[in-house]
Amino acid sequence: MKQDTSKYQYAQLDNYKESLELAHLKFKTLIVNAIVFVLAGIVLYFMIELNVGTSAIVSTVTMFVVLFIINFAFYSYDDDHYNNLKLAMYINTLGIYTIVTTLILRFQTPSIFTALFLVYAITSIYQDFKTMMLSNFALFIIGSLLIIRFPEIFQLAENGASQTFYVLVFLIVFVLLLSLSSYILIKRKTFFYNQLAQIKESEIRNMELLLEIQKINTNKDLDSEDYYSSLLEFSVELSKKIGISNIFDRKIKILRDMSTLTMQEILEKYPEYNRDEIMKLLNMELEINNKMRKIGIKSSQSHGIEVTRKEIFSESQFKSFNHQGDNSYVMIIAFVTFYSLLKIDKPYLKELDEEQIKDIFYNSGYFHRIDRDIIDIYLENYEVFDTIVKDHLEGK
Amino acid sequence: MKTMINRIKNSEFLTFNEVLRLKVAIVTIFLFVFVTLSIPLSTYNNFAEEVNILIPIGFGLLLVLTLLLTLINLNRWAMHFSIYIIIGLTVFYVGRTDYFYGYILFFVTLTVIIFYQDIITYLLYGGGITIYGIYYIMENGGTIVGINSTGVEFSSLTYQIILIGFYLVFLIQFIISDNIYEKMNNEWVKMNKVLEKYQAFSLQYLKEHLEDNEIDPLYKNSKFQQVVSELSVFINEFFEEDGKKIAEVVEFYFFLHDQEIENIVGDKELPFETRKYAIELQKYLINSRSELVSILFDFATLFKGDKKFQETRYEYSLEKLFENKIDKLLALSILYKYLKTEVTQYDKWGKVARVLTHEEITELLVSKEFREFISFEQVNFYLDNQELFEKYL
Repeated sequence: MKQDTSKYQYAQLDNYKESLELAHLKFKTLIVNAIVFVLAGIVLYFMIELNVGTSAIVSTVTMFVVLFIINFAFYSYDDDHYNNLKLAMYINTLGIYTIVTTLILRFQTPSIFTALFLVYAITSIYQDFKTMMLSNFALFIIGSLLIIRFPEIFQLAENGASQTFYVLVFLIVFVLLLSLSSYILIKRKTFFYNQLAQIKESEIRNMELLLEIQKINTNKDLDSEDYYSSLLEFSVELSKKIGISNIFDRKIKILRDMSTLTMQEILEKYPEYNRDEIMKLLNMELEINNKMRKIGIKSSQSHGIEVTRKEIFSESQFKSFNHQGDNSYVMIIAFVTFYSLLKIDKPYLKELDEEQIKDIFYNSGYFHRIDRDIIDIYLENYEVFDTIVKDHLEGK
Repeated sequence: MKTMINRIKNSEFLTFNEVLRLKVAIVTIFLFVFVTLSIPLSTYNNFAEEVNILIPIGFGLLLVLTLLLTLINLNRWAMHFSIYIIIGLTVFYVGRTDYFYGYILFFVTLTVIIFYQDIITYLLYGGGITIYGIYYIMENGGTIVGINSTGVEFSSLTYQIILIGFYLVFLIQFIISDNIYEKMNNEWVKMNKVLEKYQAFSLQYLKEHLEDNEIDPLYKNSKFQQVVSELSVFINEFFEEDGKKIAEVVEFYFFLHDQEIENIVGDKELPFETRKYAIELQKYLINSRSELVSILFDFATLFKGDKKFQETRYEYSLEKLFENKIDKLLALSILYKYLKTEVTQYDKWGKVARVLTHEEITELLVSKEFREFISFEQVNFYLDNQELFEKYL
């Protein structure tokens, strides 16, 4: 069965990752354009100094200008900004390769050929998987075609010997190394985005879990009525103090009604407010919504947290059953204890059946949190695991 | 090779050290290609014949040394050695030949250094090789001028500008990605610590729940201990025949739950192995907010109700959640009331049973960290009217 480690990913991850990536993409687009602008200036200087003729200069400058206009247009168009910037990124990548290829064909010297490597460096700033594929492909195809079809480019004035084979081999090795390098780098970058998006969602869910466990323990819920009454009293006194009529009263009434009335009924009862305003107010409601409770929990716990530089890149921050340097017995015991806990009914999580556990271990990030040999043994012998647990815990 | 491909495919799940090891292995393969290529190419050189034989052998030996260093897990040393080899190869290729492909090696060398993603290494070795490249063009630029070039001056200038550009652009890329990753990591570590606090609260509530219902904790349950022991022995059988030792470690693991780990670790009378086990097993105790407990709670959240993504799902700032001033003020009042009436702190017996006092809330609200939740304007409003907050909320 094909492994799909994203099967059990939180459903909300992609949206947040996109918003996270968008902020960085905007910045990278600006940097790439600034570098291309400098490149355009240098190319223009060379063309003027070399007296290549007005038409050559105009055509090259036009290509750069068109590229800038496309980038500017996509950057300015706010609607679906993420996809627009992605599109601008692909166009930019192909655009710079096109311009440089034109320059190589115009000058036909080995020195200008190395500009292809510079283009690769510029596009690598994006650190995007598809862009890197595009860039690697473009570098390989353009480079190889130029070497094979235009060997005279590499003919040296002082050394007439053919270098085609070695230049091609070096180019292939260069592209392969770059491809592997960018593949690993981008995978790790994506992993970071994923981790951050995951922990944001994990925070929400852990707070919900905490509220659920708190309720199991205390057997009582938040007294929303007490909140609204206090709020009303407070607003009356506050209005008196600042010398205005009570402008809060109506909104507190809406908050009270939110747990019993539908959106339509609220809109009919309070016609002075539109749907958007009511939706915003919904964040404050305490009976059916727990946004304010989460803000309360988070704000009460977020103070006094220090993060040292050593911790930022420390492997110990990643929670797993597979810490390098741990004794193999420890890895086994950690995994077995975790597995056994999943087979037991808990107040916050019912016991899981074997198929479910196996599927999650195989098709989620948990697969990589367990030592490879141990997880393989489990996956091959999960029925034995189940039998051992049943033998001891049956009827528990 | 299959293992290596699998490791590349799953490289995001590897530790920093494992990734470094993988990178050294990949670079070593490429270096092997270059060293092999250096054998036929040495015939083009102007070196003495002995030198032409000795140089590839020397590089070969350095490659073996690099591999040995990775085998004994000295991956950073191996990384440095692999860089020395590629720098040596570059110097060898461009030193006495006048071929364009030799010049490409400057870019390959920079790529190898970039591959390791270490800014200091890049500044040091990358900067060094770039300076050498510029010097090489200044001294030997005339030997790699193309037949179509307009002259040595422009050819050399083009080579130099592109090499410097390549180095600088990758330096910019380094600075950008380092900056982004550091910020992201910083936030991730910070959030991890906040998450641990929630999980510690959850665990404390569960402990209280067991106490109130007079139920023994799971680590004291003999059936549970038997399951863990038997499964551990079962897995261990795949690695060694004798299951006695792991069974003893399992026993020690459950024994640790009732002990002060610091005392065991600090007890010099105990064998080193025992203390080491105590340190390692501490991460997986089930009666404290350990790694195992955190993973278990995280696992449980997989089954909790999904809500669709809304833009404000991860937003906790009242300033951003609400546009209207009245709404912001009402939300601030609710937040104050929550902090004042709901238990959010440990009491002196370690139970989650204490609420914040008005003074503590004021201290919290004016703190710099609280800007994540409320604005300066809201703090000022609170300070101007705090007697009303205290009396009516």
